[in-house]
Amino acid sequence: MTDQQTRRDILKAGATGMTAALAQMSLPSFVFPAQTEDEDLVPFLDMPRTGPNRLDWETLDEWLTPQDQVFSVQHYGVPEFETEGFQLEITGLVEKPQTLSLDDIKAMPKQDQLMTLECSGNGASKGFMNAVYNSKWTGTPLAPILKQCGLKPEAKEIVFFGVDRKEETLRKDTKRELKVEVPFGRSLSVEDAMNLNLLLAYERNGEPIEHRNGAPIRLIVPGWYGIANVKWLKRIEVRDRRYMGRYMGRDYVTVRGERKDGEVVFVESSVTRMNLKSIVARVTRQATDDKGVPVKAYGAAWDDGTGVKQVEVKVDDGPWQTAKLDEEPHAKFSWTFFSIDLGHLKPGKHTIVSRAIDVNGRIQPSADDDEIALKKTYWEAYQQWPREIELES
Amino acid sequence: MQKTRQRRPLGNPIGAIVFLLAVTTFAAVNAEEPQTTETPTGSEASQDAGTVQGTVYYHPDPKRKWRYQRFYVKNSKVGQLAEAVVVLTPEKRSREKSTHKPQTVTVDQKNFQFTPETTAIQAGDRVKFLNSDNQVHNVRSYHPFRSFNVSMPAGKEHVETFAKAGRIKRPYQIGCVYHSSMRAWIYVFDHPNFQVTKTDGQFELKNVPPGKYKLEMVHPAGELQWSQEIEVNAGKTETVDINVSPDDVNKKDS
Ligand SMILES: [Cu+2]
Repeated sequence: MTDQQTRRDILKAGATGMTAALAQMSLPSFVFPAQTEDEDLVPFLDMPRTGPNRLDWETLDEWLTPQDQVFSVQHYGVPEFETEGFQLEITGLVEKPQTLSLDDIKAMPKQDQLMTLECSGNGASKGFMNAVYNSKWTGTPLAPILKQCGLKPEAKEIVFFGVDRKEETLRKDTKRELKVEVPFGRSLSVEDAMNLNLLLAYERNGEPIEHRNGAPIRLIVPGWYGIANVKWLKRIEVRDRRYMGRYMGRDYVTVRGERKDGEVVFVESSVTRMNLKSIVARVTRQATDDKGVPVKAYGAAWDDGTGVKQVEVKVDDGPWQTAKLDEEPHAKFSWTFFSIDLGHLKPGKHTIVSRAIDVNGRIQPSADDDEIALKKTYWEAYQQWPREIELES
Repeated sequence: MQKTRQRRPLGNPIGAIVFLLAVTTFAAVNAEEPQTTETPTGSEASQDAGTVQGTVYYHPDPKRKWRYQRFYVKNSKVGQLAEAVVVLTPEKRSREKSTHKPQTVTVDQKNFQFTPETTAIQAGDRVKFLNSDNQVHNVRSYHPFRSFNVSMPAGKEHVETFAKAGRIKRPYQIGCVYHSSMRAWIYVFDHPNFQVTKTDGQFELKNVPPGKYKLEMVHPAGELQWSQEIEVNAGKTETVDINVSPDDVNKKDS
């Protein structure tokens, strides 16, 4: 079978899955409702083309992302292993360790979770801003399984290890250099891990999860950046102290300056929950009339489940204007689509930018605001993203 | 010799069917047809060779959207397809030693994209990679014939020689390790009968030795494929328009 055939088959499978998922959820509309047929896309200036397995912002019209626009990032390569006979271990500080087969997991109570998953590096550059997608994950809740295993009183953290492994080099090029082969791992506090919305997922949009996205079992942690959603989940280990694997303690560590009494103090923190974010996905226009060019903008906003209350859009140096948030489809951990009629703009170049505001009044920062400007690492790239367009007369 | 631009009608029966299709759908094209202003040189005017020309068209289907259309089809009503590789693959491979003088073409890294994305060259040609972004990129290729992995700080140049032809089946796929969405393809042929279409979708393959060929089109970025048998006759020009649709997206290798 050729690569191309494989991809086509996957596309086909994805399409069927979508239909099934849509039918099951019976949501009224998955298309931006405000868009009409006489609107033409205004391409963003100087943006790279979007290839396969990336969200194609300018054509975004499906609330649940089709599989051919789903990104995947892996740090230790995509592991090759037999899924037949696959078993998930739950070990460490538990009264009753367990080993579960895929069938065991599928026989447990089924739960769906609608969720937008974003790579924490998404938006760090023009070359990496399509690594976000919305899904309906299906699996079984993790918390009851942990309860059944019985956490010992000293349990503090729960580590999730994948099948993927790699040799890591610590203190490279020093006398104390250390090479050690480790499995990919991420951890959660017991409190975070016991949240009832965490899943051991085996389906995405009604289809088995694709191998590159973590099959057969992927940990789903709603509201957290992609890195916490451990793929190819193999072992869950309960421990009495912090796990400091590379992706908790060395990478996916945000280094940010914070102002304390007029002084900037740098703080290193592990990448965890998603930040409030919005982006203009697409700008459309209609034919020029005597007032100028009629322009509309469409986009998406999301956060860690706190709740997006409002999205505002600004053209050039104009005032912030309130966009219309789609009431449906809507889910706590999923993105919300927005649209705005920007009225008539003059032909020529313009900058269009959006910002989200949450229920607590938090405002998505611009690149110049301290929390972004003093951030020295690229993870958590949630700054406002100005879009450049040129309107022909 | 007088250059024959007998675009229509056609003598070739296979081409005629394609042509009929094209003329009904794209009647508007005729008026816009650009004039070829190249002056034939001594060798190009050879009576012993033929010419194959035409236009690559993509026919959209609103029910089956091809996501990449907006990048490669400027006018969806006309459908001229840009950045398609068109090549005449001979039935019998020539045993003559190539007399091709190596050339250098440029592929830039600009706005987090390889520009051009798709390049076609002859074996022995060089590609000069540039980085016009104020950003570290990289150029890497894994290929059975030649692999490389070069860091590209802002302003750096890297010249790579492509000595061996991968032909239409095995292009050199180029990427950047830092930005996985950056992609490029280098097609290397062991003959000169190929072209990459511009926004007008046109191709003109001149000085083709007479014989039986497969006229092939591939659009790597858009995952489109097409091919047809063709005979090239001395002193003749064949016009074949290449018409593709969503049916040709991700088509299985024949
Ligand atoms: Cu790059």
